[in-house]
Amino acid sequence: MKKIIILTFVSSFSHAGLVPISDTEMESISGQAGVTLETTSAFEIGEVSYTEDGNSLQVRDIKSGLPSDITQGSLSTQVIDVQADGTLQIATEVSPTRLTIGGLHINNSTASAGQFRLDYSGSSLLRLGGSDSGNYLEGSFQTAINDAELVWTTNGSALSFDDIGYNANITRLGIGEATDAGRTGLNFDLDEFSYSFSTGGMKLGGVSLGTLAGELALSGNAQLFAGGRIDSDGNGGEGISLNASINILEDPTNFVRFTDDGNDLFMGDFNGSLNVDNLTFDVMSDHLLVGFDELSGSFNADRILIGDVVNPVGAIQLDFRLADANGYSNRWKLYPGIRQPVFNSLPVAIRSYSQSFYSGLGAGSDGLSASVEWSLANAEAAYIDNGRIVVVSGIESFGRGDLTLDMRQFDHDNNASTATKTAIAFGMNRFQGSYSIDGLRVGNKTAPIQGGAELLLSLEVFQAMDFNLDGYTLVTAGGESGGGIQIDGDYLFSDTNIGLSIDENGQGVWATGVNYDIHLREFQIDVSPSGLSINRGEQWSTMDIANMRWGDKTSGRSLGRIVLERFEKGSSLTINPGGAGTVCVGANASNASACGAAGGRWEDRGNEGLTVALKAAFAPEGLTSDGTIARNRLTWENNRSTDANGDPVNGSGTQIILDSYSTNDGLGPTDSNNYGFQANLNIDVFETKVAKKFSGTDDNGVNGNQGDELIYDDSSRTTYTYVASPSNAQKNLRPLGFAVQGNVSFKDFQIDQVQLKHPDVTAPQTVFSGVVMQNLNMTTNLTATPIR
Amino acid sequence: MKKLLILFLGGFCSAAYSLEPMTAEDMGQVTGQGGVYLSGDLTINENGGPLNADGPSANGYSWQTNCSSSTDKRCGARIALNTGTGRGWFVLDNIKGRFSFEGLTLRTRKIDSGFNGDGATFNGDVFEIGLPNTLDFEDTSFTIANSNTPRPTDSGFRQTDILTVETNGQANLQGNLLIFPTGNP
Repeated sequence: MKKIIILTFVSSFSHAGLVPISDTEMESISGQAGVTLETTSAFEIGEVSYTEDGNSLQVRDIKSGLPSDITQGSLSTQVIDVQADGTLQIATEVSPTRLTIGGLHINNSTASAGQFRLDYSGSSLLRLGGSDSGNYLEGSFQTAINDAELVWTTNGSALSFDDIGYNANITRLGIGEATDAGRTGLNFDLDEFSYSFSTGGMKLGGVSLGTLAGELALSGNAQLFAGGRIDSDGNGGEGISLNASINILEDPTNFVRFTDDGNDLFMGDFNGSLNVDNLTFDVMSDHLLVGFDELSGSFNADRILIGDVVNPVGAIQLDFRLADANGYSNRWKLYPGIRQPVFNSLPVAIRSYSQSFYSGLGAGSDGLSASVEWSLANAEAAYIDNGRIVVVSGIESFGRGDLTLDMRQFDHDNNASTATKTAIAFGMNRFQGSYSIDGLRVGNKTAPIQGGAELLLSLEVFQAMDFNLDGYTLVTAGGESGGGIQIDGDYLFSDTNIGLSIDENGQGVWATGVNYDIHLREFQIDVSPSGLSINRGEQWSTMDIANMRWGDKTSGRSLGRIVLERFEKGSSLTINPGGAGTVCVGANASNASACGAAGGRWEDRGNEGLTVALKAAFAPEGLTSDGTIARNRLTWENNRSTDANGDPVNGSGTQIILDSYSTNDGLGPTDSNNYGFQANLNIDVFETKVAKKFSGTDDNGVNGNQGDELIYDDSSRTTYTYVASPSNAQKNLRPLGFAVQGNVSFKDFQIDQVQLKHPDVTAPQTVFSGVVMQNLNMTTNLTATPIR
Repeated sequence: MKKLLILFLGGFCSAAYSLEPMTAEDMGQVTGQGGVYLSGDLTINENGGPLNADGPSANGYSWQTNCSSSTDKRCGARIALNTGTGRGWFVLDNIKGRFSFEGLTLRTRKIDSGFNGDGATFNGDVFEIGLPNTLDFEDTSFTIANSNTPRPTDSGFRQTDILTVETNGQANLQGNLLIFPTGNP
């Protein structure tokens, strides 16, 4: 039986000095029917307990009162009236009030999820009446909250949201009966639920990460039932379950905005829908279990800005369905406190970082832990650039792992003499998962699957991955320019398979048995007037690929082992709106006529798109901020001996080594390293010329001569013809693809040595004692389209 | 040591599998293999490199020069290789030019038939680079040289240019380049 128990309750209520109205005053009042209640209240509740199947979720030390002194009562006023049509109306005004919660526990757990404080003032207007549509009640609801502050504290460190403003207006709220598979519950109908919100600052230890604001309109319905997913016997039982269907109404004024130092990440003019089936909440012996059978929906955003307020990035469309698949479900087990991993079960390469991350925390430390399992059965993500669409199709992912979340103090600059900062600490333990992408569809959402995602490899966007991940992230406030965020982290992908160039059947080039450790220090993320910038203070990593396989990821022939070690200081990444703009492919010219005269092809790729600028400042071999030695080195090993299981033994084969490569500004490794290795990518979706490679019939039965152009018959882009000399109208029906204008440049790139190592010798032998490359500026214009 | 075999179909065949070239029609029958068709160009130092804009000066050599319409050898890219400590450097200097093409294809595919029976014996996956029918060269050039130090800004730098290669025109490239592992990984 569900029970809600209030253990202790101390209150002080006082009515605000009500004085009888004189007869004379009463005579002057007309049409004032109703009751006005002015209440000054302060209360303290020792514990509110929700008990289900013998397990209790406990909310402790609840207090309410004045913000300045919570033991003193705060004022609220309710005006209760019955309108001429019989509608009950309750208008409420709340003066500044503080509400605090001392802890969230389950079954008297030692640890709590932390402390919460909410300061607020506001007003609301509730109207309730009878229903003509079978509901128990119908009405409307309006509320406004001003100058609110929400603070979550764990172990003395706080995350806060300041100056919260919130306005909500539900035009029609209906409450009635719901039935589902023999169950009876409550049905809630919401029509035109519009709301807006804003925060003056998301702060860590009082330092702002930025501000959030948004506005959108919803409609939908929800059905609430008694009975959860599981009890202590493994059956249904007590608990709560919910079905809901929500629409984000199409409205050009919908927006969500994050602002960092006056620069916005903005998403507007969006709409969508969300359907959830059997969302359940159950209190278990040591956790709260949240799960759902299916969550599906769509989301479309027509206006996205990153920094630049004039040039949009383009539009996105997302369709998704989270549901049971591949033996995985969608479940979250939420635990109060920090559940540390079993350190000896972690791979050695990450164990010391994990122990360091959790040092200082114990069984009684506040925080939140979760054991999660997810299953994304399918998703389609579309990007639209100047009306041209490319769809990343057949996205699938599943896995499980453990999370921890708390706030703490952190030496953000690795300098004990400076003050620490408050950080959000996010731990990922023993994550085992997988994702894959079938391929791309271009032109429309039903176009045939094609390749082309390979062009995104330079952004480390892989087509598929089976991974084991342990990672530890610390987020502090204050990027390069003061706002923004800084990320420090240590991560290990172990025994991981990465699909580098594969088809929808999973065949292609795979990096298998990968161990990839990554260490980030002082990664600072800011929104600037031109885009999003990431200044990468220091990064070192080792990607050890046991086998580079051709074909299947388990049985494909192997090229051998490849080890890539990286060490960078002062690298950066910027993402700006706008792609390549106008481009002359095949010649050097600044306008269409000159381009054509020079034998090139003029393309106007529009004002949308993305530009990604990467600077990698490869450092000479040296000490990291952790005191370990790191370098840039590439090793290819093969002809390895095998162990008893037939697996190759690393280090037993022949190696070719590009040892200790680095960049500098022109005078050698002792020079400055400000320029580094730069790669700028302008990414658009655009039509391109696809010429038939041979005369005859292709695999779709379409005949043509070598050199003829592939032209779609109409804008549906389903059938095509080969055309010797397409007209201008036909050129608009050329195949679409990722159009990438890339530029790679460096001032000075030095490889200290190129070496060969035979397993029978202890030291490698030098082939080249040095390789120095200088002054390279290489530009490519490539468009990837399907093979015909 | 394992070998990375590279086969130019139509021109060279590995003795290991003796693959015979697929016909164009056979190639057209391959489906479900993903892959990409690439068109475009590649340009090296068309308007100089980053050192020409704000590079250093030392020992009487300055990298900075205007390369917008210059044939100055500083405007090209440079590679220096040292084959032994204390010895001189082999140099490819003033590298520049443009390559443009249409129809370079990249994909992986399984070969288990064809090639006059050798495909069934091979029965494996290959990474296929489908060569574009034509490759245009525009003012591509480089200079072969020797020098005593790797960088022109090094003290006592001396360099002897041996010859310069310049290419303009069009090359016909047909067939496929197949790359696949073999031997002991």
